[in-house]
Amino acid sequence: MIRGLLFLFFLHLSNSIFAQDQVASGVVTSVTEPNGLPGVNVVVKGTTKGSITDLDGKFSLEVPRGSILVFSFIGYKPRELTFNGQNNIEIVLEEELKELNEVVVMGYSSVQKRDITGSITSIKTDKFKEISLTGIDQALQGQAAGVQVVQSSGTPGGGISVRIRGSTSIYASNRPLFVVDGIPVETGTLSLRSFGGQDDNALSLINPGDIESIQILKDASAKAMYGSRAANGVVFITTKRGRKASAVINFDVQRGIIDPVKKVELLDSKNLLTLQREAVTNAGQNPDALGLIPGVTDAVNTDWLDEIFRTGIMQQYQLTLKGGDDNTSYYLSGSYRDEEGVQLNNKFERLSGTINLDEKVTKKLTVGSNMSLSRSLNKRVKGDNFLDGVYSGALKSLPYNVPYDENGFLVGPGSPLYASFPNFNPVAQAVLPRFDAITVKILGGLNAVYQFNEQFRMKSQVSLDYNNVTEDQYESSQTAIGGVLDGVGGQGYGVYIMSAITNFVANTTFSYNQTFGGTHNVSGMVGTEVFRNFSRDGSVTGRLFPSDDFTYINSAGIVDQGSSGRLNRGLFSVFGEGKYDYKDRYLASLGMRVDGSSRFGPGNRFGYFPSISGAWRVTEEEFFESKIINDLKLRASAGFTGNEGIPDYQFLGTWGSTLYNGSPGIGPSQLGNPDLKWESTRELNIGADISLLDGRIQATADVYYNKTFDLLYPRPYATTTGFNNVWSNIGELENKGVELGITTVNMDKLVRWTTDINLSKNVNKVIYLADSIPVYRGYQAEGVSATNIVKEGQPLGTFIGLNFLGVDPATGNAIYDDTNGDGQINNNDQIIIGNAQPKWIGGITNKVSYKRFDATAFFQFSYGNKVLNFTKASLVNSGLDITGNQSPEALRRWQKEGDITDVPKYELGNTVNNYHSNRLLEDGSFVRLKNVGVGYNLPNKISERFYLNNLRVYLSATNLWTHTKYSGADPEVSTLSGSTTAQGIDFYTLPQVRTISVGLNATFK
Amino acid sequence: MKRAITFGLSVITLLFGSVSCEEVLEPKPVDILTDDLVLNEPRDVPNVEIGLYSAFRGIVTNAVISGDFTADMFLHNGTFSQYRELGTKRITSANASAAALWSNIYGAVYVANFIFEKLPGVPGVTTSQRNQTMGTAHLLRGLSYFYGLYTFGGIPNVQTISINDNRDIPRASKETILAIILDDFQEAESLLPVEPANAGFVGKDAARAAMARYYLYLQQWQQAENMATAVIASDNYTLEPEFETIVFQDFTDEAIFEIGYNITDDPGTLNNLFKSRREIIPSNQAIVALAADQSGDRFSSIEFRVENLGGSDNGWTVSKYGTADDDNNNVVVFRLAEMFLIRAEARAQQNKVSGVGGAQEDINQLRKRANAPLVASVSQTQMLQLLEDERRMELAFEGHRWYDLVRTGRVNVVMSAFSTNWKPTYDLWPIPQTEIQNNPSLVGQQNPGY
Repeated sequence: MIRGLLFLFFLHLSNSIFAQDQVASGVVTSVTEPNGLPGVNVVVKGTTKGSITDLDGKFSLEVPRGSILVFSFIGYKPRELTFNGQNNIEIVLEEELKELNEVVVMGYSSVQKRDITGSITSIKTDKFKEISLTGIDQALQGQAAGVQVVQSSGTPGGGISVRIRGSTSIYASNRPLFVVDGIPVETGTLSLRSFGGQDDNALSLINPGDIESIQILKDASAKAMYGSRAANGVVFITTKRGRKASAVINFDVQRGIIDPVKKVELLDSKNLLTLQREAVTNAGQNPDALGLIPGVTDAVNTDWLDEIFRTGIMQQYQLTLKGGDDNTSYYLSGSYRDEEGVQLNNKFERLSGTINLDEKVTKKLTVGSNMSLSRSLNKRVKGDNFLDGVYSGALKSLPYNVPYDENGFLVGPGSPLYASFPNFNPVAQAVLPRFDAITVKILGGLNAVYQFNEQFRMKSQVSLDYNNVTEDQYESSQTAIGGVLDGVGGQGYGVYIMSAITNFVANTTFSYNQTFGGTHNVSGMVGTEVFRNFSRDGSVTGRLFPSDDFTYINSAGIVDQGSSGRLNRGLFSVFGEGKYDYKDRYLASLGMRVDGSSRFGPGNRFGYFPSISGAWRVTEEEFFESKIINDLKLRASAGFTGNEGIPDYQFLGTWGSTLYNGSPGIGPSQLGNPDLKWESTRELNIGADISLLDGRIQATADVYYNKTFDLLYPRPYATTTGFNNVWSNIGELENKGVELGITTVNMDKLVRWTTDINLSKNVNKVIYLADSIPVYRGYQAEGVSATNIVKEGQPLGTFIGLNFLGVDPATGNAIYDDTNGDGQINNNDQIIIGNAQPKWIGGITNKVSYKRFDATAFFQFSYGNKVLNFTKASLVNSGLDITGNQSPEALRRWQKEGDITDVPKYELGNTVNNYHSNRLLEDGSFVRLKNVGVGYNLPNKISERFYLNNLRVYLSATNLWTHTKYSGADPEVSTLSGSTTAQGIDFYTLPQVRTISVGLNATFK
Repeated sequence: MKRAITFGLSVITLLFGSVSCEEVLEPKPVDILTDDLVLNEPRDVPNVEIGLYSAFRGIVTNAVISGDFTADMFLHNGTFSQYRELGTKRITSANASAAALWSNIYGAVYVANFIFEKLPGVPGVTTSQRNQTMGTAHLLRGLSYFYGLYTFGGIPNVQTISINDNRDIPRASKETILAIILDDFQEAESLLPVEPANAGFVGKDAARAAMARYYLYLQQWQQAENMATAVIASDNYTLEPEFETIVFQDFTDEAIFEIGYNITDDPGTLNNLFKSRREIIPSNQAIVALAADQSGDRFSSIEFRVENLGGSDNGWTVSKYGTADDDNNNVVVFRLAEMFLIRAEARAQQNKVSGVGGAQEDINQLRKRANAPLVASVSQTQMLQLLEDERRMELAFEGHRWYDLVRTGRVNVVMSAFSTNWKPTYDLWPIPQTEIQNNPSLVGQQNPGY
């Protein structure tokens, strides 16, 4: 866009060239613009004589022989050429590697990258623009040091957990603050009905194609202006805007196919039957009496995963128009994305439109607006913890059953072929229910900037983030809920839920900057902000439908469950910062934000979050001279950030309505805690930015130590109090870590090869908790009350369980460590068995371009994290029950005295052999080829034939290859999506998907 | 320019004119009442009383599981490990049913204690309302402790609503809890009205029925007989002519107190477990007992469907506890038949076996109603065995079996025959692991065997 701006600016100049001497003409290109780089300044050295390249990168001007032509363009290294009368001059400009002059938007103000004193990672859109992404949070994956992104499953539009520098809190939100064009947007789930572990995702409503840039603000200084809610980091997103240039139309289309990354192996009928008969016999019962008869029971062998999986189709289209003149600039875009899940009937569809406008009303006043409207249709399926889920159902269903009867109809309740509780018919569970979640999001804002004079500026902004979810659901009489469970549906079950969440933000800032004596730069900003959140919801449930032809609640025989509710909350904030630098050499900044939150009681509403930072650009010192080091900046920052991400009104002891036998009354709902206050994190960061060898090597390194005080969590109480817990602020935890980001240009001739590496390590530890009483989380498992613990001295995400010592060769029973030596194996013998947090995470992107070709390969890795393969508690269940299929690992079971194995004897009803232990915990480290892409820009000759300025075709694939020791479907999963204390649990969780797509991008002018 | 300034000013006005700090930071809570507003005026009293019933309700539902599933009435046929443990008799302190029963007991105790602390200070409450609510609180707290005592042994004695006292509180002796229970029952009997609105609420007879059961468990036969007689003689209740009515209807003529669920507030817990999911099904032994001649119509407590047969599923289903739409979703706490059984047992123990005023008379009331063969003249020992069997048939799936076997000392004999995994320490449930984790005074206080 800058290019376009220059183009218009220099037009005047080219008209004023005198015709004389000899004509020098040719074309200027670059690696990214092989069809010609327009707007390049071509000047005769030592004169004002010059021209600029046209739309096709061509130039022509008359100059004397022997004169030196200088080709320059912002963002590119200038090149010189001595003109000796050559024809068809070809100039290839190289992109400038220094990014220091780039302007970075940080919260309420923007700053040149060279002047940043905090820790920030910028992600450019070209890093992800050709990858098939549903939401913007996916784009962060593996791209920035210190940022851990875990997609909970392969469900399209599903939950994604983003953690910046670890988790600072136990139960208050650990999600970073996502700010889009100054609006803190809704994150996390919007749906009000559980689907067994896989949530929907509010961020999937934002089209990544409209994003201009993403800044990840990581330390106290960078986050200072969002201090109150910034403990978990801030992801600052700026959408595209128009610039002064002629209209450019861009059309992008991507189509592809989607498959699961791995299909787990299960037993066939024959092997399963042998195993089950053995389990029954070992329990002293007769397998024939239980109907386990060889030749009859195993006559059918259904591969349920094959039945419910499909190859999904992905398609995405985006059309954008942008441009502007002296006073008005505009950006318009429309996009459509349609992504089929790999499970039957699962789909995510999004339609979005954006209009961003800027108008220069007077010389001093500029007004702007951003408005994006999107609607998604998420056709969801149940999964994970739900027995009537699709993937979960397929994993545990017996191969003895069939999805379709001999006439090709789906097998349903009442049919002798129906598996019924607890397996049902997973195909019917996928195909028959209607679980449509329709989400409408309006993200809009108006802003006005008034420039009083060179020094003073005022900016006001009012914004709205409106999210409306309609959940339109019907489970037919042929499904588990609608047909099998009399108590719930019985004969069809319809649910209709509507909820609306509205965030209003209004802020005004005054800023000031001035340079004194050419060396002292001073700037400052003060502002105030009001944030209000309103949410309302309502739902109604209907049962007993005349038939499955009637699926809406107006046809329901009984409509007896309904609800409606409302919640309001708000924040009131005042903030300010001051910055000073001396000759860009010594930089310092001070920031402060004060926030009042409705989530805390009188006296505790306000939190104070100061920060301080400084930087020293060593290379600016006179004594510093180096040909190798071009730029070296040392940074340090300290400050406090806050967190208030807890449910509302927790400071109040309250009673809610309750019913007894149809009579309304009131019952206690929660204990109050008038002392409840802000959780705060003290952050310390030291970092260095270095640029070597003309910018061919750039590196950023940071170390940090963040300590969270007044931890917000529901402190567990013995239920003798009448309550389970109360929200309190008693506890501390810490995160410390190192981050490294390196960008290198390995080759920069005909072939340009760049590498981006990021690497980070975060060590998290709970320092203390109220009364030192641990908090138990996760799932209840066989023989133990919880799979996870939050405990002093241990990191969040710690797994507990029994210590499995092996299988007794004499009896075939599991041997567990009697850790407390009391002669019994029980809950009290549980020990810490591992942790879900990785030791190291990182990503490596290699990019190679040659003429019109380019290729990218992006690897992501996670090292040292444990995954709880909770699915295995069912798939290798030691014969506990005979209602589900088993994994081939079960074939290694103990069978007779003397067998040495790690899989206990199969015995029906024996819970002890399947007690929760480290038998289920696995190394979840992985390296994954997250994305590989190849692109080709068609030559001018071809694109011009289609009246195009540029035509590009590309191929992109995600999750193509994974290396892991994890035995389950995928180590990169998390049921209980978004949980911090119980992360990394695979419980019938759908693996990630592999997408292979082709794309075409056309630019019209 | 003028236009621009006007615009700028209107933006500022929009920002600050329309909203005040208080409005943002102190939104009024919706649909909740803060503690200080609860029970400070007469019209709160019935609301809180309903809240107490609602809290108490969870105990009774869970006691059906403890009473019948710990013993030999049920088989596990589902996926939840808490029920699997009960089915295979490998009960652990992690059992979620134990945690649910425990927390429901103290949930109800909290509301009762809240009433005791706050109600006396509420001005303007009528005496009859005050007596009714205080009486209800006493009876329901006493019953809560009763279930707690016989399930977990001596449990913490919570008498206040002080959170700090109650989150670090040791177990009390069995005697202490028994004394509280008796005191509560007696207080309730004196305060409660004679006739409650319906059997979903408690009156004097419910307190007497509770005392009858209390004395039976303590083997104070004379008092047990007297209390049972008091209820029977009140003539407020009559045996339903058809036993099926007991299975398929709520608020029968013999209901003294049952916890009420109706279409709007029934979460369908037991229906879901017994019928919809069939997570829990009748054991083969229970089926045999209910199908026997002497059971008569009580066979209607269960039903068979061939399509359910297969694998470890015997095809039988508990018929009691329908869906929210059905008329049998209440759970019985006391009904007249139990009073006959209590009196019969008390009489038999006092060697009043046959003839007028003997156990035979009482047991035959139930046999007659069930169209089962009447009991002839038998010895005391035979009568006691007949009564054990009779209770199992008559009160099937109402949560009595385990408690009965434990109090008569027969539990190890009967249960060892039922399951090879049975241990004598299963005469009590474990104190929930989470309680020991969160209450320092309970560390090392676990029941033996867990």
